Amino acid sequence: MSATEAVPRHPPVTAAPRGTPQSPLEETGRGTRWVVWVVLALFMLWTLVPLVWMLMSSFKNRTDVTAATPQAVFQPTLDNYRGLFSGANNLTPYIWHSVLAAGISAVLAVCLGSLAGYGLARTAMRGKRHLAFWIISTRMAPIAAVVVPLFIIFRGLNLIDTIPGLVLAYLTFNLPFAIWLMSAFFAEVPPSLEESALVAGCTRWQAFWTVILPLTKAGLVTTFILCLVFAWNDYAFAVVFSGPNSQTLPIAASQLVTQTGVDWGQLTAIGTIVVVPMMLAGLAVRRWLVTGLTLGAVTGE
Amino acid sequence: MTHAADHSPVLERARPEPAKHREPRIGFEGVMMTPGLIVLAALSIVPFLALIAMSFSHVRLLGGVSLDLVGLRNWARFFTDADMWMSWLRTIVYFVLTVGLEMVLGVAVALCLYRVLRGRNVLLGLLLLPMFVAPSIVGLLGRYLTDSTFGLYAWVLRSVGYSGDILGSPVSAFAAVVFMDVWEWTPLIALITLAGLSSVPQSVREAAAVDGAPGWMTLRYIVFPAISNVLLVALLIRSMDAIRYFDIIWVTTNGGPADATKIVPVRLYETAFRFFDLGYAAAIGLAMLAFSIFIARTFVRLLDVRGLTR
Repeated sequence: MSATEAVPRHPPVTAAPRGTPQSPLEETGRGTRWVVWVVLALFMLWTLVPLVWMLMSSFKNRTDVTAATPQAVFQPTLDNYRGLFSGANNLTPYIWHSVLAAGISAVLAVCLGSLAGYGLARTAMRGKRHLAFWIISTRMAPIAAVVVPLFIIFRGLNLIDTIPGLVLAYLTFNLPFAIWLMSAFFAEVPPSLEESALVAGCTRWQAFWTVILPLTKAGLVTTFILCLVFAWNDYAFAVVFSGPNSQTLPIAASQLVTQTGVDWGQLTAIGTIVVVPMMLAGLAVRRWLVTGLTLGAVTGE
Repeated sequence: MTHAADHSPVLERARPEPAKHREPRIGFEGVMMTPGLIVLAALSIVPFLALIAMSFSHVRLLGGVSLDLVGLRNWARFFTDADMWMSWLRTIVYFVLTVGLEMVLGVAVALCLYRVLRGRNVLLGLLLLPMFVAPSIVGLLGRYLTDSTFGLYAWVLRSVGYSGDILGSPVSAFAAVVFMDVWEWTPLIALITLAGLSSVPQSVREAAAVDGAPGWMTLRYIVFPAISNVLLVALLIRSMDAIRYFDIIWVTTNGGPADATKIVPVRLYETAFRFFDLGYAAAIGLAMLAFSIFIARTFVRLLDVRGLTR
């Protein structure tokens, strides 16, 4: 760090404007800056090339998409997307199943999770620690270990190949996630707020509904979106539980891989359809992503 | 759980007074928790008991589900199955490689991003994109990119002299699925680490700079100790998901070639839903569950002992 050169250029400031170092002592030397940019550029390439390639390939025609020399310049066509929504393998029911299964399970998880999360954050009961541990270990249970007994239970209850079956399966990981995360968001709200609501004559429920819940709007939205993403992206449950009446988008994508060959143009088009909505939803809650994905253990910038 | 229970006289008073008859009192919080916990119990305790029962039985599916007790046969098989031990070994290698690479790369990228002052948010937003891609799509996309005749990455590798079928030979297939996982989840580590870095007090870093500490020393003695808790959280979160997800392997190599990528969850799926030996699959499932409960314990204890990193 070239601290000594930097000092005269910056008069002492209390809060530097955006884009300049907060303190002249923090300025980065030229060598370090080069390393930083090279590392970031390489990592950007590594991250973005597959995504861009998927997007490009979804607009390629049959010969370009499997050309021996990868085609960076090509005549774009909408044939792949048109093929997905017309003809024998229509994608519409798959989209509908995905939206229903992921949406309903996310809504249920947030409703039940915010109630239980509030209770968990405020309760002083004995055994709270064990309760919390039970909830988090349910979230962390490997899907493979959950899917086997659920398969037997669902067969007994005739829930195989139904949307409610998928919703229940997704609740096994979304509900504990929502309870835990919402309780972290509720714990951030100072209890004095409820106290003043109670003093003003609210019931406990009114204090929760009119004072605390509006304050955790960001938490509710973050929880909902993360639950939606987890359920939408699921493959392991859907591959076991879903049949013709409930197959979701990731299953539709994997079904294009057949013995006779793969229509990569259509496959990349499905990939784009699966991925883009979740990316937009995820970036919409970027500020709270750290909190959400660490289950409330780390708070963001 | 470190959400300190908040004892407040007003909240206490608002509770219904159960002093007269000493019934087990639930209170408002208990009522709030009830619906969620009932559903959760139905979805976790019932399957858990079913899993234990299944691991001691032979499960018949034809003509209605029925369990025939077979004692310890599934468990005896579990402990003597040489293929199974290989799968555990492979799982450990896969686990260490993916999580290790993700931690190293993630921390490196976060340290670099932290140096960027202009446009950090845009860069971070772009870097986060892989996290939202469905793992099965990552696998299918990986297949497309590594296809030996038209794959983009296969083409790049051909131009530097490697022309094998990437998913066709054991070592390269294993490396490929590891890198697909690393591609998807390194951004998560970078994101968490960056949040930790931003919480290192500026005054401390300035003090180090005034004392003339070179950059690497500041990193070693100031920054890393300050973010060690956050790094541990990142490690645990990633570890728990690493054993949860196997979609990538399932859609790319399906455990092959020659079992090179057959990690435990893949073997479990195969046992349960290809050979329909659900009793044996239940025994494998319980063993996996033990591992994830260990991680959950560490996570909760970390939050308890060191306090939340908030």
